[in-house]
Amino acid sequence: MLKAETSLGIIFFPAFDWAISPTHPEREERLLYTQDQLREEGIFDIEGIGEYKPDVASVEDVERVHFCFPDVDAVATRSHMISAGGAMKAAELVMSGERRRAFAMTRPPGHHAMKVVHGSRGFCNINIEAVMIESIREKYGHKRIAIVDTDCHHGDGTQDIYWHDPDTLFISLHQDGRTLYPGTGFPQDMGGPTALGRTLNIPLPPNTSDEGFLMAVERVVLPILKDFKPDLVINSAGQDNHFTDPITNMNFSAQGYAAMNEMLAPDIAVLEGGYSIQGALPYVNLGICLAMAGLDYSHVREPNYEPERIRQDQRTTDYINKLCDVLPELYFNPPPFQGGDRDGQGVISGDVFTRRKNIYYDTDGISENQQETLHLCDQCRGVYKVETSSSSNPLSLGVEIPWNACPHCRELGHRLVEEAQLKGGGYRYIQLINRKDREYLRYGF
Amino acid sequence: MLLGIDVGGTHTDAVAVKVDQDGARVIASCKVPTRHHDLMWSIDTALDAILEQVDRNQVSQLNLSTTLSTNAIVEGKIEDVGVLVSAGPGIDPHNFMPCRDFHVIDGSVDHRGNEIRALSREQLDQALASCRKNGVRVFAVVGKFSTRNPRHENAMRRAACACDDDARCEAADFVTSGHQLGGALNFPRRIATAYFNCAVWRLFNEFADAGEASLREKGLGDVTVNILKADGGTMPLSQSRTLPVQSIFSGPAASVMGIVALTDIFHDSVILDIGGTTTDIAVFADGAPLIERDGIHIGSHPTSVNALKVRSIGLGGDSAVSIIGDEVAVGPNRLGPPVSLGGERLTLTDCLNFQGACEVGDTAASKQAVERFAEAHTMPADALADRAVEYAARKIHDETRALVDEINSKPVYTIHELLEGKRVVPRKLYLMGGPAQALRDPVFHQFKLSTEVPPNYGVANAVGAALTRTTWELELFADTQRHVLFIPSLSYRENVPSGYDLDAAREDAVNQLVMQLDSLGVRLNAEDAKITHASSFNMIDGYERAGRNIRVKCQVRPGVSATLAKEA
Repeated sequence: MLKAETSLGIIFFPAFDWAISPTHPEREERLLYTQDQLREEGIFDIEGIGEYKPDVASVEDVERVHFCFPDVDAVATRSHMISAGGAMKAAELVMSGERRRAFAMTRPPGHHAMKVVHGSRGFCNINIEAVMIESIREKYGHKRIAIVDTDCHHGDGTQDIYWHDPDTLFISLHQDGRTLYPGTGFPQDMGGPTALGRTLNIPLPPNTSDEGFLMAVERVVLPILKDFKPDLVINSAGQDNHFTDPITNMNFSAQGYAAMNEMLAPDIAVLEGGYSIQGALPYVNLGICLAMAGLDYSHVREPNYEPERIRQDQRTTDYINKLCDVLPELYFNPPPFQGGDRDGQGVISGDVFTRRKNIYYDTDGISENQQETLHLCDQCRGVYKVETSSSSNPLSLGVEIPWNACPHCRELGHRLVEEAQLKGGGYRYIQLINRKDREYLRYGF
Repeated sequence: MLLGIDVGGTHTDAVAVKVDQDGARVIASCKVPTRHHDLMWSIDTALDAILEQVDRNQVSQLNLSTTLSTNAIVEGKIEDVGVLVSAGPGIDPHNFMPCRDFHVIDGSVDHRGNEIRALSREQLDQALASCRKNGVRVFAVVGKFSTRNPRHENAMRRAACACDDDARCEAADFVTSGHQLGGALNFPRRIATAYFNCAVWRLFNEFADAGEASLREKGLGDVTVNILKADGGTMPLSQSRTLPVQSIFSGPAASVMGIVALTDIFHDSVILDIGGTTTDIAVFADGAPLIERDGIHIGSHPTSVNALKVRSIGLGGDSAVSIIGDEVAVGPNRLGPPVSLGGERLTLTDCLNFQGACEVGDTAASKQAVERFAEAHTMPADALADRAVEYAARKIHDETRALVDEINSKPVYTIHELLEGKRVVPRKLYLMGGPAQALRDPVFHQFKLSTEVPPNYGVANAVGAALTRTTWELELFADTQRHVLFIPSLSYRENVPSGYDLDAAREDAVNQLVMQLDSLGVRLNAEDAKITHASSFNMIDGYERAGRNIRVKCQVRPGVSATLAKEA
């Protein structure tokens, strides 16, 4: 009988009763055929592979990460809480040592959900990876974590959440933002002034096939992971780079996905996008499960797989080659912070960093304006403050006291909230995330 | 009058049960030794003993639980099988090779039942030629996703038989098609199940022939004969001839159904069948026994054979008492019978005898043995006995808790997936088996749950066998984009219109189940057929709905036809 070389826990939550709309690509049917394929292959009978129920994330699990306006219940349904809970269960299996690795195949996805949430962007409401990561840190201490986002869309939400965090390495491989939603994720986006080089974007041209992806992983991602020495590697496993995906333009295959997973060797994988629900997901997910378990995946093949037909052209190869030459430098020798309000990088004035953002929630049709401020501190991560208003919520405030806050910053955080309450300033809702003392407070409800 | 026979490891038990409006009454029972090399002798002898006590003209039904198939597999007395599979992409099927004559034929069917690649006729012919050269006469044909579309299995079956219908043929004696074993998805299990079904087919049918001849001789030729299955149900003998693998591991099912017949179980409960060597633990949710979600393992092969979820632990009345460090331990080994029955090693039963909890055999011998053992380990005799009994009860408690935790933490679904997601919280214990009465108080002390030892628990297995009902299940799969409805276990295929929906599918599933059982001579009330799973998914092409993907599972849940009448 087959036995996994690396033990693997699989959390399956297909959310068979939840959809954005009946014909939306992110709908009930999405994981149906994956479930069929995994069951038919008998994958849960393989020694070392086990299936688990998801946990359910609590409001506090979400409030540890996000500023949700007006509150968590308003932006996240039960399905979102279970999806995040599925990721948390995957983490728990690995952290407790019950399984060496885990794969949370849950939906809805989360990597477009940013620090502030007013509604749904790119089918995402809450960032399930971030909720998972912060639950790990809350329970197991402040781990160094690397997230490799292999979804075809730029993981702009995850990037936003970890923009100022030097202990979280975020690498996103995606179809070039000039050709696909959300239109971001360029090499010059390297993280905030206190975390330069901790964000790395690898925009790949349309029609990139296995060759290009694997080259980028080998030449850019792996050396950086080796240097960063994370405690955990997490794969935001979006599967919409597949050559049959209806809403993207890439040429990745199930074999390629499996090989990439073998190279990355993530501790935890969390399903993100992937909308070719019949022709790709069953095979890609099977390939990833086998690769994660250290099993042979060479017989996994899509019905219409013809490597020659989808092979990338020489120009694409040359372009990616050049990217691979220059991108690692952004991590190893990031240029000093330049700043500039016009290019969205923000400016430093005294010991305060300020950045303005306009965010559009395409799924819910919400426009948001926000200004974020980071109080730069030599002793700790610094207090983070965000003022936000949107077409669905009036001006509101979020303040975060970091986990390693110094006494000064801890007091500053409380003072900011207090002043906002006393003097007004017109904030309809105020939220405080105090990671230092583990308090998550809301005012104005 | 209903007869029940349970062929067990040491004894073959038989009962005759009379059922009237007050319930069932045991009117005759007997125990004879089991002869493993001649099971027919054991059955015949038990049957004769019962028929001496009752009017044979009143017998309407005989239910039989036999270890025949299990033994054949365990002892390797099985026939060579030709296994032909159509796998397509995925895990390399050679990982699931059960025997020498295993052939993978190119071709593939996808998860929706679309044929992606036709079956290679050339490879099929070569494979069959190779099997025939090896003298193979029985074949298992299995396709990946054959429960969505059996096209490749049908082609392989026709090739193996060298003819177009299911009639007997010269080229093969018997063919098992994977899809007829059930509608569940699991290709490796389907391969193993089809293989074992073929491997025991001839032996089982020879046994069935002998059994029918013997019944005719006894003037019982018209009696309905059913064979027990591991899922706590029966199947008609005629059915068992083509599905002999379903008769495997039916022993624990007879015990569990015995408890069902002897008591009224409504709550989440734990059944403890405490025997000489082992204790079998079974769990009930809302009064219904839990089953293994996917099926049991035969040897190291997982199969799709449904079975009640039963955990066996090495602890029973004959378990030896030992001292490990400071702890008094019991089991897991049996090193001969209790001292009170002439054994040499101190056992749990001896300790219970010492306490006065029971009186098995020579209680004075038990008393001496406990005292000797205690003295050798410099501890008071009563402390030794108490700690041994306490250890046994605690062990049973811990293992039961672990089983319940496992059930609650893993997606092991209950007999109906209706209960999926429900937590099992036992509220009551039922004890049966030899030491049940004696261990009642210590076990209660551990669990602190209502603990019942039903009367008549000595004949529970055979009573369970006698009263067990026929179970059946089927899965219906419809794809309105492809306009097809398919019930794998019946090989039933029908065209459906675009407007076919979940309600129609539910109705069709129940009707087909009732009709199928009717054709087997089993009368079923439509309300006994329960829908245990029903789902319908919109399939989208572009941004338009292209059809519905409908799945319905329908079953007659295990149960008994009557429970024992309350003693007046």
